[in-house]
Amino acid sequence: MIRLEQVTKRYGETTAVNQLSLEIGKGEVCVLIGPSGCGKTTTLRMINRLIEPTAGRIFIDGRDTATVDAEKLRLSIGYAIQSVGLFPHMTVFNNIAVVPQLLLWENNRIVRRVGELLELVGLEPADYIRKYPSQLSGGEAQRIGVARALAADPPILLMDEPFGAVDPLTRERLQAQFIHIQKEVNKTIVLVTHDLDEAIRLADRIAIMESGRLVQYDSPEIILSRPGSKFVRDFVGADRALKRLSRISVKDFIKPAAAVNVNQPKKEALASAAGHRWLWVVDDDEQLIGWVDTKTLMQSVSTKEAMDEGDAVKISILESATLREALSRMLELGFKHIPVVDDSQRLIGEVALGDIEAATAEGKG
Amino acid sequence: MRRLINPDRVALTGSILGLASLLLGWLTLKPNRLAAGTSLNLSESLGQPGAMAIVVLWLLCLALSLVKLKRGRSIGLGITANILLILTLVLVGLASGRLLEGEPAAARVSLGTGFWVTLAATYTVIFAARRLLDGWHTWQNLVSFSGLVVLAFLLSVGWLNNISVMEEFSGYQQRFVQELLQHMRLFGISVAIGTVIGIPLGIWATRKKHAEKPVFFTTSIVQTIPSLALFGLLIAPLSAISFAFPVLRDIGIRGVGITPAIIALTIYSLLPVVRNTYVGIRQVDPAAIDAGLGMGMSRWQVFRRVEAPLAAPLVLEGVRTASVQAVGLATVAALIGAGGLGWFVFRGIGQAAPDLIVLGAIPVIILALLVDALMRTIVRLGTPKGLGGERR
Ligand SMILES: Nc1ncnc2c1ncn2[C@@H]1O[C@H](COP(=O)(O)OP(=O)(O)OP(=O)(O)O)[C@@H](O)[C@H]1O
Ligand SMILES: [Mg+2]
Repeated sequence: MIRLEQVTKRYGETTAVNQLSLEIGKGEVCVLIGPSGCGKTTTLRMINRLIEPTAGRIFIDGRDTATVDAEKLRLSIGYAIQSVGLFPHMTVFNNIAVVPQLLLWENNRIVRRVGELLELVGLEPADYIRKYPSQLSGGEAQRIGVARALAADPPILLMDEPFGAVDPLTRERLQAQFIHIQKEVNKTIVLVTHDLDEAIRLADRIAIMESGRLVQYDSPEIILSRPGSKFVRDFVGADRALKRLSRISVKDFIKPAAAVNVNQPKKEALASAAGHRWLWVVDDDEQLIGWVDTKTLMQSVSTKEAMDEGDAVKISILESATLREALSRMLELGFKHIPVVDDSQRLIGEVALGDIEAATAEGKG
Repeated sequence: MRRLINPDRVALTGSILGLASLLLGWLTLKPNRLAAGTSLNLSESLGQPGAMAIVVLWLLCLALSLVKLKRGRSIGLGITANILLILTLVLVGLASGRLLEGEPAAARVSLGTGFWVTLAATYTVIFAARRLLDGWHTWQNLVSFSGLVVLAFLLSVGWLNNISVMEEFSGYQQRFVQELLQHMRLFGISVAIGTVIGIPLGIWATRKKHAEKPVFFTTSIVQTIPSLALFGLLIAPLSAISFAFPVLRDIGIRGVGITPAIIALTIYSLLPVVRNTYVGIRQVDPAAIDAGLGMGMSRWQVFRRVEAPLAAPLVLEGVRTASVQAVGLATVAALIGAGGLGWFVFRGIGQAAPDLIVLGAIPVIILALLVDALMRTIVRLGTPKGLGGERR
């Protein structure tokens, strides 16, 4: 879909990008990462020709971009940046409508599209279309920026630190939403970031750059398990084993969990424990409501009396979570096993600490 | 007690100035237009009850300018100052009629220092109130202009006809209208030309690095030349040109008259317009421009749809500054034969007739106030919604 061939950009003495070759497949998320000043932004901006390369060629769908009119090219590529750059004198509606208007879409179609996009980025259209950028929070502005970039449904999206200017909590929420949106729209995305965790979370492939050169271009798993050079090893850091866990879904590690119904008689409950010291407690709807220690259970009259109640949201993880989240939740709670629930908090199974350790060990070396 | 006292300096200055003015001579009764005459104090001029009322009103102003001002009291301050102004005008009109009773036809009643200082003092207080009312446009305009409206009414019904300034006016009525129009023409044309040249110049300075310095160097240097000198400087080259090309003479381009005046006023108008255009475009968030270009807008579309509307408030603000400045400077144009309200001022100086000077100066001030108010409204209308948060 996008192919960079020996692309170089020089500013006088400094070489911002040096003979960079890169190929990004359709529907892939490619994350450019590297130390400050290594040429990420320059590379990104050469793709939509905001910067013209000094040497080398860039192809989109096999066509050399140098042969296409720059403005036409940009109309077909979404563009979102860290500082967002919403137009302060335009409403949210008009901000999002910019490209469709430039493309002379019919008004009805624009109205419909803006509504769709706001819903896509999780903002209620009726509440937002009349607002001005000065009335938005940082996170809302970023989302409008993404909606604006998606306005004309471009096949390609370029994003320069799109979640850079918000607090960590909001950033995490925006990242989760990004993954969700990407599932729906399936664009070819080139995203620049400083944040390795973000790269690992979002990327299909990570391109690590060092002073204008591409030093490794691989899937996050490979980057983490087999860094190609000392630079990459240092860049991903000593905790790469831990970082790798955030690429692994808990799905493959779920084992059946020992559980009892809260209304089950004590005897039956103890019988089903089958050697387990701890049992998860569920209600009649199979929803997780707490846990029980078999030792306490033996000395009390009923399961209900012996159980420790717990908020399912806090003591369990979703089946869509990663091993890293499972691990951090376990450390937080001091559990050796953590229950896995579905969206309606029904118990599916559990993940064991030992299995996570094994998974970590596998990736070593 | 502390909490209640929070003097507003400007209003306080105005009030004290107003009270001081009461001790000066208010009206002068002269046997004829140019004679010295006898100066009359406040109560001799306006009579006991009127004088008392004015003293009380000024004391009220003083009190209001000392206490902590909230919106309501600021309005009170503005209203009191306006009542003072109107009352003064009404009483002066009455008094002039009374004083001239039984005097010969050549006798004149002219306005003394006390009256003018009171006038200045009321406007100082009005200015303070206007500032305190920032944001309440309706009240601001009411406070600023109700005095002028009443003045216009009193003038039109002939209430002030016995005052010597008005007698001068009736002698020069036609001339007055003519010079007033000429004055408006002078500053109107120059500000228009200054804007038409200044905006592109300002934009050019933002676009080309090497243009920035020369543009600001020249416009700022020109600004420091005293107006009279600039008017004078233009006489020689323009006369030379008009002698070399007689055709130009026929269309009015000469060393003296309206052409050099308009050229000089235009040059003065340039700096505020150029400076504000430059700053206006420079302060546009670079990210907005980058986003615009990145989304596929052409350079021109970015200018028209992003930079221009975002710069508009500042550009218009520059035009406002230029206009108010040009109204004042146009007074000097009379010296090189361009006419305008300055004609009365300089003729008054020449004849040692203060009333004639006043006849030129007061309308210039009023004109400046009106132009300022008009331009402020235009600036407000030209400011896109969404800028500067909540706007009333
Ligand atoms: N217009 C320019 N003129 C001169 N040098 C430039 C210009 N733009 C970028 N550079 C240089 O090129 C190099 C790469 O810049 P670039 O903005 O691509 O870095 P980056 O990887 O995006 O950095 P950051 O993570 O800090 O955003 C830097 O050394 C920078 O100083
Ligand atoms: Mg960058």
